[in-house]
Amino acid sequence: MNLFRLGVPLFLFTVLAQAHVGSPDIFLEGKAGPYQLFVTVRPPLTIPGVAEIEVRSESPGVRSISAVPLAITGAGSKFAPIPDALKVSSNDPQFFTGALWMMTSGSWQARLSIDGAQGPATFAVPVPSVARAAKHMQGGLGLVLFSVGIFLVSGLIAIVGAAAREAKLDAGQAPLADNLRTGRKAILVGGVIVVGVVVGGNMWWNSEASAYDTRIYKPLRMAASLHGTNLGLKITEPGWMQATTLNQAAYRIFTRKIDDLVADHGHIMHLYMIRQPGLDVIYHLHPEQQDAGLFALPLPSTVAGHYKLFADIVHADGFPETMTAEIDLPALSSRPLSGDDASGSGQPATNNIFTLSDGYKMEWLHDDKPIHAGQPMAFNFRLSQPDGTPPSDMSLYMGMLGHAAFVATDGSVFAHIHPNGSVSMAALMLAEGMPADMNMQETSRAVPNVVSFPYAFPSPVQYRIFVQMKHGKMVETGIFGVVCLPSEKR
Amino acid sequence: MATIPAQPTDLPASQTRARIAVETTAAIPWYIWCATIAITSATIGAYWDISWHSSIGRDTFWTPAHMAIQLCGVLAGIAFGYLILHTSFSKNSPLAASSVHIFGFRAPLGAFIASWGGIAMLTSAPFDNWWHDAYGIDVKIVSPPHMLLIMGEYAVVIGTLVLLAGHMNRSAVQSRTSERRLVLYINGIMLVQVMILLMESTERVFLHSAGAYIGAAALPPLVLALSWRLTRYRFAATFVALFYTLFRIGLILILPLFPAQPKLGPVYHQVTHFIPPDFPLLLIVPAFLLDLLWQRTESWNRWKIATVSSIIWTSVLIAVEWPFASFLMSPASNNWFFGTGYLYFALPPKSFLARHAFYPTGTPLEFSLAILGAILVGTLTFRWGISRGEWLGKIKR
Repeated sequence: MNLFRLGVPLFLFTVLAQAHVGSPDIFLEGKAGPYQLFVTVRPPLTIPGVAEIEVRSESPGVRSISAVPLAITGAGSKFAPIPDALKVSSNDPQFFTGALWMMTSGSWQARLSIDGAQGPATFAVPVPSVARAAKHMQGGLGLVLFSVGIFLVSGLIAIVGAAAREAKLDAGQAPLADNLRTGRKAILVGGVIVVGVVVGGNMWWNSEASAYDTRIYKPLRMAASLHGTNLGLKITEPGWMQATTLNQAAYRIFTRKIDDLVADHGHIMHLYMIRQPGLDVIYHLHPEQQDAGLFALPLPSTVAGHYKLFADIVHADGFPETMTAEIDLPALSSRPLSGDDASGSGQPATNNIFTLSDGYKMEWLHDDKPIHAGQPMAFNFRLSQPDGTPPSDMSLYMGMLGHAAFVATDGSVFAHIHPNGSVSMAALMLAEGMPADMNMQETSRAVPNVVSFPYAFPSPVQYRIFVQMKHGKMVETGIFGVVCLPSEKR
Repeated sequence: MATIPAQPTDLPASQTRARIAVETTAAIPWYIWCATIAITSATIGAYWDISWHSSIGRDTFWTPAHMAIQLCGVLAGIAFGYLILHTSFSKNSPLAASSVHIFGFRAPLGAFIASWGGIAMLTSAPFDNWWHDAYGIDVKIVSPPHMLLIMGEYAVVIGTLVLLAGHMNRSAVQSRTSERRLVLYINGIMLVQVMILLMESTERVFLHSAGAYIGAAALPPLVLALSWRLTRYRFAATFVALFYTLFRIGLILILPLFPAQPKLGPVYHQVTHFIPPDFPLLLIVPAFLLDLLWQRTESWNRWKIATVSSIIWTSVLIAVEWPFASFLMSPASNNWFFGTGYLYFALPPKSFLARHAFYPTGTPLEFSLAILGAILVGTLTFRWGISRGEWLGKIKR
């Protein structure tokens, strides 16, 4: 029993979550054959652990859904365990809930099987699995276990004493002085041994806890530097999930590398630079990989200031990560924005309407109802011309109607969200058995001027929402502010 | 701490003598049978649970395997709780004069040991539950809360043995076959349970490296020497090792008859039926040789017996297990009897076992030094087993 861990109030050491920062829940909206589904996965704090899964069918007629965790790639993707049937809500026949047992760290998916009026279908939801916390013991339980532990230790010593003192006496014979002396000696020696065992057990517990701590997720480290107008990014491994012994090499299922990155919707890195502390300037850029762990980018003209950098990458097995760094930039007058690069600036929208520098307007279609932490909802935005009409030249931005970054003003949360949700597109492609880098075909259909992002704020703080939509060759960036209230339930 | 009364009981001497007389002629008491069922249930439950984790993976508190383990606690609680309370507070308890005193209670020593085990087992449940919350659902046998559970189980086994030894020693039935058989059975159960702790370190991939033999020297000799010294049966060690061998082979024959499929991922090996443990170590070979040795050591001092026993134990075990392990790693052993084709569903493909590769032996010097260490460890455990067996042969309470 770890005496130093008992009686401590519940305390969580949380760490930055991978694939976004401080925003571990997964949201995915999409088509499973004929059924439109919205899936929420809440990963566990510890691995192995149990994730919660919720599925809402926006198409009627879904009779049953089952879910099974499956590795996205590699040997673990070959055989599936027995799937679990999700439980249908008694109030809503199109709402299903269940549990996913996540047993190892790595790149996983929840594989859903749907059955309904329009036949069977399947749906893949990428679920990165990492241990995010170590939990300490609650005071009440600690006190109970400590008390029982004291009783067991003293009981054992008393048993040793009684065994030495009386066990060999004939029935009815009272212990003599010699017996009593032997008993006392046994209590002394037994006490030393038992206390030694307890101390040894405590050391073992500490060693197990330390071993667990090494499995708690640590994002790749990123250091930013400026060379003239060139931004350099160096990525290093902080020592998470590395196999350092023969046994670990043989038994560790998942190890992280820095030379296995794959492109995610066209780019190997998506870099957001957000000026601090006002969050009033944002750049969405795409540095190129020069070598394993080395990225570089000729910066476009930038506004001077202190910037936080959030860099999204995806590993070859679909495991996504967001690395962070900070840098002070001078005012740079260099190249103009090009390709998929984008920038935006200004104070958050007033009355939910953000007026862009070219007179276009971006509106958050929100009824101003309070927003609570943990409440999944659709964040809808509309881009209009200065006269309020829809732009006639709407186009896809990196293959999607838009991109959004949900950023806590205190820096605790960063989430790069797409219209279909929070998952990495590369992971989604891999989970669906396709190459990681989806082919960004421009659609021949008219692109709507409204985009929707499914998301739930993870914590009750102030946020900025940076929304990017494209018309013609112009990527527009709207900035919105919101205060998230504490969770209503959970 | 214990309170020692001026007199062993507060009963009149005539009544005490009468009760002692009653006890000396009694058959094996019901609470010993109850405890024997309890430890049997826990042993079957423990192996069933390990197989459950290897085949299905996911469990709850209410799996049949867990119920079999908990039945041990329940039966032990009923039997020994009753025994302690009845002996402490009843004026007619036949065991009042044959009791030890702890915390103001009186009862036979074994009842206290086994009760301690039951409480430890119960305590391990919330501890283990918290462990899962804090560090994740465990996937290994040897963890602190599991050790508390295992220590509790061992305490119930030891308590049962102490009760039985006391019963034998204070009666005129020391040589009665039924008691001696029951002692050997309990020792067999003890060896089967002890080998759970060694399951991971004596997996067949480790049988060409020294660690497995250090483990084999650390625990089984204690049980074998204790059995021999307590029963004085000529083939006590052979019997106990045979019990372990048959129990484990029985698991290989029986468990795969029942369907089971993984409910957890990753699944690297398709599993359709319950997975049994590895084929038993060939402990029976050195155990038989020890029995032959011990029949000739009446005049030896105990350290000499322990040292020679340890040398025989480790060297013979290596001599038989080394080639046998090579056989177990070959395709020829992949059959219903040796059962080497049964693999844990989540066994990583790169693991030594999945690749049918031995863990590196180390250099000859490293191996030799480690084996010398095993012999030293074995000497100490044999010596301790001898002294514990002799002590058990003398206890009266």
